[in-house]
Amino acid sequence: MVNHILPGSLTDVAFLFPVTVNALEGKDCKESVRLIAESANLSEEQLAFLISGMYTLLREALRLPLSTFKQEVSSGSTWNPDKVKAVIPEDFIVDFSSVVFGNRRPTSEGTALIQRSRLPSIQDFKWRVDVAISTSSLARALQPSILMMMKLSDGTAHRFEVPVAKFQELRYNVALILKEMNDLEKRSILKIQD
Amino acid sequence: MSALKFFVLQAESTFSEEEEEKLQIAFSLEKQDLHLVLETISFILEQAVYHSLKPASLQQQLQSIHLDQDKAEAFASAWATAGQDMIEKFRQRVLTPQKLETIGWQLNLQMAESTQAKLKSPQAVLELGVGNEDSKNLKKVFVEFSHQELFEFYNKLETIQAQLDSLT
Repeated sequence: MVNHILPGSLTDVAFLFPVTVNALEGKDCKESVRLIAESANLSEEQLAFLISGMYTLLREALRLPLSTFKQEVSSGSTWNPDKVKAVIPEDFIVDFSSVVFGNRRPTSEGTALIQRSRLPSIQDFKWRVDVAISTSSLARALQPSILMMMKLSDGTAHRFEVPVAKFQELRYNVALILKEMNDLEKRSILKIQD
Repeated sequence: MSALKFFVLQAESTFSEEEEEKLQIAFSLEKQDLHLVLETISFILEQAVYHSLKPASLQQQLQSIHLDQDKAEAFASAWATAGQDMIEKFRQRVLTPQKLETIGWQLNLQMAESTQAKLKSPQAVLELGVGNEDSKNLKKVFVEFSHQELFEFYNKLETIQAQLDSLT
C-alpha cells in the first residue's frame, strides 16, 4: 500500500479514509467513491489497492475486542506501532487509532453485530386464542386453540395452529433454554479468559 | 353385531375391499346389505359423537326408534368402552392447514465470527416442526434467538398462558 500512497497525493488518501470508515459502519458509499475516482489523479488500480488496503486494516483492527489492545502496544503483539508505521505514513496513524480506539468504535461494532451471519430471527410475532364452540362433528366442543403467526427476518411468514398440549411443551422448552442460558453465562465468564 | 360395532369405532375409516369381503362372508350378507349395515352403524355413531351422548341415553334413543333390545344393548356397551376416546379425538381435530408437531432446540455459545473475534454470546436455535393436514412433509422452521430475544418471546408466551388460564 505504501508504494501507491507515495506517488499519489496525500489529500486523495485523506478523502478515502472517511469513506472507508463509513463503509465499515454500514453506510452506502458508492457516490463518495465515484466522486473521488473522478477527482483524484490515481489510476483505478491504485484506487482499488488503497481502498481495499485501508478497509482490511481497519476491519482486522476492529475485529479484536478493545480489551486486547492498549494504546501503546507492546512489541510482541501483532499490532506493533512500528509495523503499522512501516505500512502507513505517520499522519494517518493518528486517524487510524482514533477510529479503532475512539468514540466512533461502537458504531462500527454495532454494524458488525447487525450484519453478521445468523439464522432467521423473529421479526414479528402475532397470536390469538380461540375457543371452538361447535364443529361439524361435535355440537358442544368448547376446545381452546392457539393460532400463531411468525414473521422471520429473512422475509418468510409462518402461520400455524398450536394445540394446547404442544403450547405447554413449547413454553416449558423455552423456559428450559433460558435457564440454561443463565447458567452458561454465569459459568463461562469465569472459565474462559481472553 | 357387537364385534362389527367395535370395528367401526376403532377404525373410524372405511373398510378396504378385502375387509369388506371378509365381513360379507362372516355375516353372510350381500354386498349392498353389508354397505347398508355399515352406513347405518356409522350414522348412529356419528350422531352419538355429535351430541356427546352417554351410553345410557344412547340405548334409550335406539330403543325409542324400535331397534331390538339386544342390538341397542350391544351399541351401548361398545359406546361405553370406546365412546369417550372418540369424542376426545374429534374434539382435538383442527381445521387449520398447518399445525405445530415437533419442538426441538439447541443452545450454542458463539465464540467468533467473520467480523468479530473473541465473542462469548449465547445463541439458541429453536426448531419447529410444522406439519400439513396429514402430517406428510413436516416443514422445519429454524429460528435463532439471542438472550434478550428469547426473554421477550418467553414473556409473550406467558401472556398467552395468562389468557388460557382466564378461560377456565
